[in-house]
Amino acid sequence: MTCVIGVGNELRGDDAVGLAVVRALSGTVPEDVAVVECEGEPVSLLSAWEGHARAIVVDATQSGSEAGTIRRIVAQDGPLPPSLAGSSTHLLGLADAIELARALHRLPEVTVVYGIEGASFDTGTGLSAPVAAAAERVAAAIRHELEDGR
Amino acid sequence: MSETKTIRTDYLARVEGEGGMVVRMRDGEVTEVKLRIYEPPRFFEAFLRGRLFTEAPDITARICGICPVAYQMAACLAMESLCGVEVDGQLRTLRRLLYCGEWIESHTLHVYMLHAPDFLGVASAVELAQTSPELVERALRLKKIGNEVMRVVGGREVHPINVRVGGWYKTPSKTQLEALVPDLEWALEQSKETVRLVATLDFPKLEMDPELVALDAGGEYPIDHGERLISSRGLDIPIAEFYDHVVEEHVEHSNALHARLRERGSYLVGPCARYALHRELLSPQARAAADEVGLEPLVRNPFRSIVVRAVELVHACEEALRLIAAYEEPAAPAIEVTPRAGWGHGASEAPRGVLYHRYRLDDAGTILDAKIVPPTSQNQKSIEEDLFAFVSTHASLPDEELRLRCEQAIRNYDPCISCATHFLTLDVERT
Repeated sequence: MTCVIGVGNELRGDDAVGLAVVRALSGTVPEDVAVVECEGEPVSLLSAWEGHARAIVVDATQSGSEAGTIRRIVAQDGPLPPSLAGSSTHLLGLADAIELARALHRLPEVTVVYGIEGASFDTGTGLSAPVAAAAERVAAAIRHELEDGR
Repeated sequence: MSETKTIRTDYLARVEGEGGMVVRMRDGEVTEVKLRIYEPPRFFEAFLRGRLFTEAPDITARICGICPVAYQMAACLAMESLCGVEVDGQLRTLRRLLYCGEWIESHTLHVYMLHAPDFLGVASAVELAQTSPELVERALRLKKIGNEVMRVVGGREVHPINVRVGGWYKTPSKTQLEALVPDLEWALEQSKETVRLVATLDFPKLEMDPELVALDAGGEYPIDHGERLISSRGLDIPIAEFYDHVVEEHVEHSNALHARLRERGSYLVGPCARYALHRELLSPQARAAADEVGLEPLVRNPFRSIVVRAVELVHACEEALRLIAAYEEPAAPAIEVTPRAGWGHGASEAPRGVLYHRYRLDDAGTILDAKIVPPTSQNQKSIEEDLFAFVSTHASLPDEELRLRCEQAIRNYDPCISCATHFLTLDVERT
């Protein structure tokens, strides 16, 4: 059982990219894949992936790299890199949720994080162009990953 | 000769949202404390202008992922008071129940995941999960029960979508609510355990005497509404007069507004204020839990706010059970609300304190003007005053310890800085 979780705040510019990705995926993925939108609050994240063997999580990053940069990280390899861990607009966020889950043995066997570097996290709606383009690429990559079953 | 030393952290974690704080000292004396807030341009107030009055609850719920219900309720109440509608009976029961869910999840998050690590000498909830996994498991389940109440009543865990001006889109059945009872009974017992746990913590010494301000909900502990604003020093006004008594001012070091009472100064909203002003209205088991641990009626040490928050957690669980027991599904999910031109005022008790909304509508119900005063902006001056007093009496602490205690002192207020701000940093500068 796999779940795909998009993390983000709709009204914080590129922070919404995780939501955009799962909305693009919705209805186009196998029926047994749960597609979830989440604000990034840890308990909701832990609930969202509870009972799933595999979780694919998409969130915006703010690490200083070029807008639209995509990173694919496997949480089983270790904590999220510091440059990404503190970058969420939610201070108890995805990185904390992953470490909490790891400590409590609640991390899905395979937990993949796609990070998409945002350009602007100011209040406002809509994604910047490079981030919107990256969202499409990540949606395609996740579709591929789901088909491969890897 | 004086030594110059600067301690700087670029991030104050475990505060919901982001902000900043500077403490300056010269020869062991505190010279300045500034809470530095980077407020997004009043985005939401601008975003609301030109929208329909019925859109305000959903739009303002987006301001905060932790207390969306507080925003929804204050917005609904403002619109309803202007349009001459009172949502009462079972429709109101559901509002209060939804709000109890928010109190359960927000207070649990703060007590266990954000504030307790300070007292227990661990860096974060993640470290707490390693050293005391049973505490974090308890917190996760408590919080999940709060989320579940919000999902069943509000339609969704994070930003409830079922709330509307005049009531609800759809009301839950009695059976749906009764299904929550076993979990809430467990939560009630665990919240009492929480009070016992936090009462034994080691509290840094600090004694403050702020003016305490809370809503008055006419005979019940204020949560989802309140017609009057009262204080420990005799303030007693209808909420429509909020701006006659509260001044919001720009301060040089912050681009957020600091609130103060006209001709009176700083004030405190939140659990300690509600508890001091309405202790006798707490649910029986909440009052018993407070008595059992000897919680003083007037909590003057801000670090002890964690105990008050735990007592309110008991109250929220017991109140939710009481509301479910009294619930009968109403005939209609909402009362029709016809817009009127004029000013509407609404206020509710967010987990972290009074939240006030004011709107001006035209006769078609279009929002012409919106003002939102979140609890954290009302507490900013009190936070600064606490830090000033704390650092003045603890200046001999090593820098790192002092910095940690300052962070802990800020967290006494459960500041929901995302409502008002951007990145939070803490600097202690010794000159």
